[in-house]
Amino acid sequence: MLETEALRKVFNGKAAVDGINLYMEKGESVGLLGPNGAGKSTTISMISSLVRPTSGDVMLHGKSTVKDPSQIRRVLGVVPQEIALYQELTAYENLIFFGRIYGLRGKVLEKKIAEVLELVGLADRQKEVVKTYSGGMQRRINMAAAMLHEPEILIMDEPTVGIDPQSRSHILETVRRLNQEKGLTVLYTSHYMEEVERLCDRVYIMDHGRIIASGAKDELKRILSGEETIWIDLDRPYPKLLSSLQMNEEIIQATETEKGVKLIVPKGARILASVFQEAEHHQVQIVNVNVQTPTLEDVFLHLTGRKLRD
Amino acid sequence: MKSVFLLQWRRLYRAPVMLVFLVLTIVFVSLLAGANSENKLTVYTFFDSALTDEGSDAWLEKLNEAELFEFREAQEEEARQAVFAGEINFAVQLMNDDYRLLVAADDPNRFLLENYVNQVFAEELRLREAEQQSSGGEIRTSVEKYMADPPLQAVTTSLEGEGSFKQEGQLQVLFGMSLFFSIYTVLFSLMNIAEEKRGGTWDRMIISPLRKWQVYLGHMTFCFIVGFAQIVLIFLFFHYVFGFDLGERYGTMAVILGCYTFAVVALGLLLMGLVKTPQQLQAVIPIVASAIAMLGGAFWPIEVVTNEIMLAVSKGMPIFYGIDALKGAALYDRGLSELLHPISMMMLFGVACMGIGINLMERR
Repeated sequence: MLETEALRKVFNGKAAVDGINLYMEKGESVGLLGPNGAGKSTTISMISSLVRPTSGDVMLHGKSTVKDPSQIRRVLGVVPQEIALYQELTAYENLIFFGRIYGLRGKVLEKKIAEVLELVGLADRQKEVVKTYSGGMQRRINMAAAMLHEPEILIMDEPTVGIDPQSRSHILETVRRLNQEKGLTVLYTSHYMEEVERLCDRVYIMDHGRIIASGAKDELKRILSGEETIWIDLDRPYPKLLSSLQMNEEIIQATETEKGVKLIVPKGARILASVFQEAEHHQVQIVNVNVQTPTLEDVFLHLTGRKLRD
Repeated sequence: MKSVFLLQWRRLYRAPVMLVFLVLTIVFVSLLAGANSENKLTVYTFFDSALTDEGSDAWLEKLNEAELFEFREAQEEEARQAVFAGEINFAVQLMNDDYRLLVAADDPNRFLLENYVNQVFAEELRLREAEQQSSGGEIRTSVEKYMADPPLQAVTTSLEGEGSFKQEGQLQVLFGMSLFFSIYTVLFSLMNIAEEKRGGTWDRMIISPLRKWQVYLGHMTFCFIVGFAQIVLIFLFFHYVFGFDLGERYGTMAVILGCYTFAVVALGLLLMGLVKTPQQLQAVIPIVASAIAMLGGAFWPIEVVTNEIMLAVSKGMPIFYGIDALKGAALYDRGLSELLHPISMMMLFGVACMGIGINLMERR
């Protein structure tokens, strides 16, 4: 449905986006994950025809949107990172304007406004001036304004930055419902890994203007070559147990933690029995054991050496 | 375009800051132009020691029949000190049958004063001489009787029309101040574009099916109407409340105001292309507006400027052509064909500023 071909954008001689290739099928929910400054917003700006790429192309149904932006503008809804609303107007007045610029008029516009207000849960507050809303409510109206013309593709650029958990959960749930129930194609960018994990079928991981990994969530997690982390909490520090675990050839790494020890072991290795034996041998009581599978955050850390929010 | 245009009115309705500004402008201009309309120029007057008290009073009374000047008795030292300190441009010394002007700087009013005092003295001295020549003492009474219904009248009129000095002074203030304050209104209205660009709503419009020219046109039309309406309101206010005579060329004046407002809107676009943030624009607007008004002759008639460079610079200011054309229409009854030059200059200024301004904004 939508794909980019070697998309590149150079600002003042520096490539903000450097040869991005990505694609989205109809009804898919795709995540664009990366830290601040990775090039996510610039990529979105080029896809949405706001910024002209230095080179490369964006194709919608096989046609270049760089040459003819009008085709993507009709079917695209963009929820920008900032609250792009008229603060002195009411939510209703904002929606009237954003509906009109998409050619909606009269009863059709009224109906659409009622629908999107219902969708974001602010129908009863529509006559209030936007600047009196909480940050979360403003973000919901920000999203409603992008939904008025029933877009086929919804691009969301970090739509939950700086809002309360309730509004955040409402937005994520709304997006999930739109994607699963109405088949809306979603491109969701965030540096909140858990949001992307919750919403997206496929993920592109960006850093320094390039895509460094892509695929379904489980595929990406397998990048971590099948390792597992085991956190063992002890009733007291016990250096002899740590030494003996470090001697164990089945354990890749054993390190001391505040509460006990942390072990990195091959995925599926049956190591816990021997760990309990060693504890029994040294008369140490194990308080808690936690086996953790890798997250996208771990994948990102593995690929870039940095945390997402660095 | 229509949706963007209507949005600006809705925003103005919700946050009528610009309307408050508009009302304040009208009040300010009312006070300034209204107060100025009845002003007389005070002339410090001192007397020669040979002049008697009776003679001094007689001269002062005659001179104070003037419409434009008020001759105020002063001590010689006081008058000389005021001229020396630059507080006043001239003073008059009255003698028994002569006068002296004490002049510190050339000023168009000086010539008017000199003409007036000269005329008063010439008439009086002629009468005195006639009295001396005649045997009876009734000649002054006879002349006064004759002058009440003179057998021969000389009417002086300007080649340009019938505009009086007083009327020209009033209209100078009205036109200058109205055009000056409209710069603020138009430029502050245009700041909506800068704010929209900062807030992200501009981007929302750009990625919608709206064309970019429609977005610009919506904003510009709104700013044009706000600026134009402000000037028209001030003109109507002064015409009907203070009785200012604006002539009968209303259509011509509307065209002039339209061209001037267009030039100011275009100037605003140029400024927005040159600055990077709304805050910078906010700082630049008062500087630019005041500079244009001062150089273009809004605060004082351009005729008082003698510096060649300043006169040359004034030719680059749209307000210069605006005031010139408005005076031409209101005072001298000139039509559009006669005002083609100032109108063309304002249009040229507008087109050039708009072209460069939009280009600069789009490059960013």
